[in-house]
Amino acid sequence: MKYLMILAASLIGTQAFAAGETVEINPPAEGSISTEDALAAWDRIYEVASHPRCSNCHVGPSNLPMWSGPSYGKARPHGMNINAGESRVGAEFVQCSTCHAYREIATGDRLEHSAPQVAMDWRLAPVEAEWFGKSSVEVCNQLRNPELNGDRDYLAIASHLDHDLILHWAWNPGAGREPAPYSLQEHVNDVLAWGVGGMPCAND
Amino acid sequence: MKLTVNGTEHEVEVDPNMPLLWVLRDEIGLTGTKYGCGIAQCGACTVHVDGQAVRSCQVAIGDLNGDVTTIEGIGNPETLHAVQESWVEHQVAQCGYCQSGQIMQAASMLEFNPDPSDDVIDAVMSGNLCRCGTYPRIRAAVKTAAAKIREA
Repeated sequence: MKYLMILAASLIGTQAFAAGETVEINPPAEGSISTEDALAAWDRIYEVASHPRCSNCHVGPSNLPMWSGPSYGKARPHGMNINAGESRVGAEFVQCSTCHAYREIATGDRLEHSAPQVAMDWRLAPVEAEWFGKSSVEVCNQLRNPELNGDRDYLAIASHLDHDLILHWAWNPGAGREPAPYSLQEHVNDVLAWGVGGMPCAND
Repeated sequence: MKLTVNGTEHEVEVDPNMPLLWVLRDEIGLTGTKYGCGIAQCGACTVHVDGQAVRSCQVAIGDLNGDVTTIEGIGNPETLHAVQESWVEHQVAQCGYCQSGQIMQAASMLEFNPDPSDDVIDAVMSGNLCRCGTYPRIRAAVKTAAAKIREA
């Protein structure tokens, strides 16, 4: 079936991020970050990871994106019965890009309640990156596990943040949505500090 | 800028931020595609871009990448598309405002999945609102259209 072809294309596409280079990736010197400082950096990272702008699409095998956060009131699955399917791009049902269209041209804030759009194909995060509703310790252990983080070390995580335009949207969501806390650069700096400090988690 | 709609190339001089829906209706004069909400909440403006259902109110013309098919191009009065045929057979429409979007969404689904279960039909068609509440007839027509496509 054609949707399997779309699925295959979408899986290949997960590696093809648009050009980034929007942030500086300057890790602190080796040995300069104490475990305490690294854990403090993690706490800030978790504020970002658990924020609705990020966690709403970091959902598990339900494949149901969430609508949660101050502008939604009570947390609920994405309206319109949306199911992104195992493809995580909606290939089996309604493709995410049916509404979250590719948008190259910056148009400033979009209308409230309109679909977020970036110059990438909209998608859920991979299923193994299920963060929604999970604790700081759970997400921490997931993010430092190469089997659950796309086989990335901390530098690769920082690079991923630099290149994935859907992630950039989290800090500039417009349309009455609350942005993720801190800034993309501060978040990348925290990832680098956490990494140089040995990627500690509170359960160590 | 140039775009191909229903196999015909058009050249329009508009702001690249103009939604595809505005171009179709106001610049090219194809008014079968309807404006409902303008924010991808209702599905009335659904067209195909290279076969994929898209909400034409959400696509900036400057970002359009592919050939457009509208309700005027999916079939014609002499040779209806299987979904259009089924729509008539089941007398789906009440007021009819949403039906071009419904038909385009259903036709796109059946292109990818010619044997959808009720759950799949509900999941796919839930983004297309019908304020007359003709949903039972929409589902029945989609199933009939699927059978026609499988037999073709």
